[in-house]
Amino acid sequence: MKLTSAPLSGVRIADFTIHAAGPFCTQLLAQLGAECIKIESKTRPDAFRKPHAVYGRMTAATFDQVSVNKLSVRLNLKQPEAVLLAKRLVSVSDVAAESFRAGVMKRLGLGFEDLRATKPDVILLSLSSCGQSGPDAHFAGYAPLFGAWGGLGWMTGYPDGPPVEMRHVMDHSAGIHAAVATMGALHQRRRTGKAQHIDLAAREVASAMIGDALVQASRGFTPVRPGNRHLTMAPHGVYPTQQLDRWLTLAIRNDAEWQALIRELDQPMASSDPRFATADARLRHHDELDVLLTKCLSTRNADVTAERLQRAGVCAHVSWSMLDIARDPHLRARGTTTEVSAPGIPRRLAIGAPARFSKARDVGIRRLTPKLGEDEDYVFGELLGLSSAQRADLERREVIL
Amino acid sequence: MSEDSLQGGDLPLAGCRVLEHSRTVAAAYAGRLLGAMGATVVMLEPPDGSPLRTAPPLVNGTDHSALFAYLSPGKRSLVCDPRTSNGQRVLERELASTDILIDDTPVLEREACNLDPNVIAESFPALVHVSVLPFGASGPKANWDGEEVNLLHAGGEGFLLPNGLANELFPYRPPLKIYGHFGQYQGGSMAAFAALAAWWAVPQVGGQYVDVSVQDAVLAVGAFGLQRLGDGSLEHRSTRRFRYGGVFEAQGGFVELLTLEDRQWAALIELLGRPAWTQDEALHDPLERSRRGDEINRHIREWMSRHNVDDIVQWAQRLGVPAAKYRTPDEVIHGAHERSRGLFAPLTLDGGVQAQVLVAPFQFRCSELNAGGRVPALGESQ
Repeated sequence: MKLTSAPLSGVRIADFTIHAAGPFCTQLLAQLGAECIKIESKTRPDAFRKPHAVYGRMTAATFDQVSVNKLSVRLNLKQPEAVLLAKRLVSVSDVAAESFRAGVMKRLGLGFEDLRATKPDVILLSLSSCGQSGPDAHFAGYAPLFGAWGGLGWMTGYPDGPPVEMRHVMDHSAGIHAAVATMGALHQRRRTGKAQHIDLAAREVASAMIGDALVQASRGFTPVRPGNRHLTMAPHGVYPTQQLDRWLTLAIRNDAEWQALIRELDQPMASSDPRFATADARLRHHDELDVLLTKCLSTRNADVTAERLQRAGVCAHVSWSMLDIARDPHLRARGTTTEVSAPGIPRRLAIGAPARFSKARDVGIRRLTPKLGEDEDYVFGELLGLSSAQRADLERREVIL
Repeated sequence: MSEDSLQGGDLPLAGCRVLEHSRTVAAAYAGRLLGAMGATVVMLEPPDGSPLRTAPPLVNGTDHSALFAYLSPGKRSLVCDPRTSNGQRVLERELASTDILIDDTPVLEREACNLDPNVIAESFPALVHVSVLPFGASGPKANWDGEEVNLLHAGGEGFLLPNGLANELFPYRPPLKIYGHFGQYQGGSMAAFAALAAWWAVPQVGGQYVDVSVQDAVLAVGAFGLQRLGDGSLEHRSTRRFRYGGVFEAQGGFVELLTLEDRQWAALIELLGRPAWTQDEALHDPLERSRRGDEINRHIREWMSRHNVDDIVQWAQRLGVPAAKYRTPDEVIHGAHERSRGLFAPLTLDGGVQAQVLVAPFQFRCSELNAGGRVPALGESQ
């Protein structure tokens, strides 16, 4: 393994995760320097290698964010010999990560106890929709279902409308939380030498996003769906501007910011309007406030107004599309967005380092989407010590497939 | 053996000491996650208390913040205004025994607060110093400020919401934020992750300074939108919807239904009772199903409207159709699955008010995590 200054340099992950949530987690660890070995097979390739018709993608992806920095090997886990090789790979790794439905790893012979028998201090991350225990543990699910089960979908929406479907942000949020827990287990193992099995249920991450509403509900109170409104800030919301579909977000926290807002928007009458004099009054008259702001912003440029308001100390930002994000010098300067290209992958933007570390320059994307089985010389040859003849034989018998 | 190691004996982060100087949900959530895994978390609060102590929503019938009740159990509270010489002494005393500092002081206020990263690094070379700010601490917009609604839109996800049924019903309304502090929670979990990664590297490189941005974290979880842009499509809330499936209104509630695999589609046909329209040979092809998504959804919508939500999800999961009920907070907190997994624990608010709180969004099957407890009174660990 090539060591770098990245904080997780030297940590190795045997990565059995598929789809979005699990791979996002291991991608984060890999961006911070971990060596992540992705295990797939020709018969069970990960989702990005196939069309995703329900999403409208009719071919395989050429670039896949959640597989950056990963090494790829093939193992046909239906074969007992492949399972043995997978165990050998786990035994030379620090972490094994998986995102199958609860019970699948055990059926494959790769459950926590199986792995611990091979590697007494193994860390197994199991990321699933409903967790490894409980009456719903066998339920299959995707991001919108996590949001529905966990309560986040219900709490999100127009107050007079239906609940809202959570999308990839829900998967990836589960992935960040899984990365936090994995780091916790690594520290525990460093201190105690103990094995650990992390059980992350994505629906519980969705519940964690409404933790305040759940405290309220535990006292018998029914939390209300606030839409774009806030319980103490007014104005607070998303407003149309001069440009079509270019919205301005505003959050006014106190009287000083309110005065700054109406000064910048040239609304002297509002300054002395008793309906808007205090935060409480503004909350009571939020509908009238929204009418006033909608009218006065309808002749203004969203971007110019946002900059002007920020200079005046007001929390304002344009509702950005991905095109705005791609063009933003701030995100580029931070390395949050970064240009990538490779043979077969024309130049494009990707998400780079998730944080900036003062003592590590090697955080971020080092390589792009691996081809299926691209790293078997290193993984099967160098790490597991298999000879070319052995590997050819395993391929012939479809253990490596 | 110190009190901390006795208390946190078997916990993943036993012995880890975190100092949290927070006014935002992001920084407080980072401390919350580290505390749940067994770190000792000390909050530095201004003399009149953290602004989060009065942040909405409130626990019904009290003046206690439900948000603070969620974010603070098990933390210690220390009054410290680092702008004063007394506060500076407290800060330095605490930093001397701290492994990880989580700070959300805006860049322009750092010097006055004695929280300049370079100065701190000189005095505390083994310290992991994590800054978590709305737009980060470097770059042309480092001094911009933002609340949740601004940040969710600055990171790209706000523009894309609502998608699906809510957008179909109200196509001309402004985009809609996710409930609560979703973006701040992403920033907080990213800060906790980065903190533990930097702490992992202390034996090799010593302490270091880490710059985390809530906007970056929102964008990171929304990375798929940037990937789609690279593929040539700009996502929009009106078109970002599943070709078929999604939110459906049933009797007694709403259902989420999503079939991505052929076997799930076959199971859906069973669920619907094999109506004639599903027998069309062309629908065996997933690409054709996507092309005819609207037609399929019309049929599903009609069927859903005639059945009870709980019956639907029960049949669906038995047949292998991914479906879930949109559950209310009340249903979540009383859910049999959640109860069985011990997701919630008793919590005592100031004044003895009893409630329940989510323990953590992850479990460690070989260690019981810190659960519930008390909301600390201001300055109780002075």
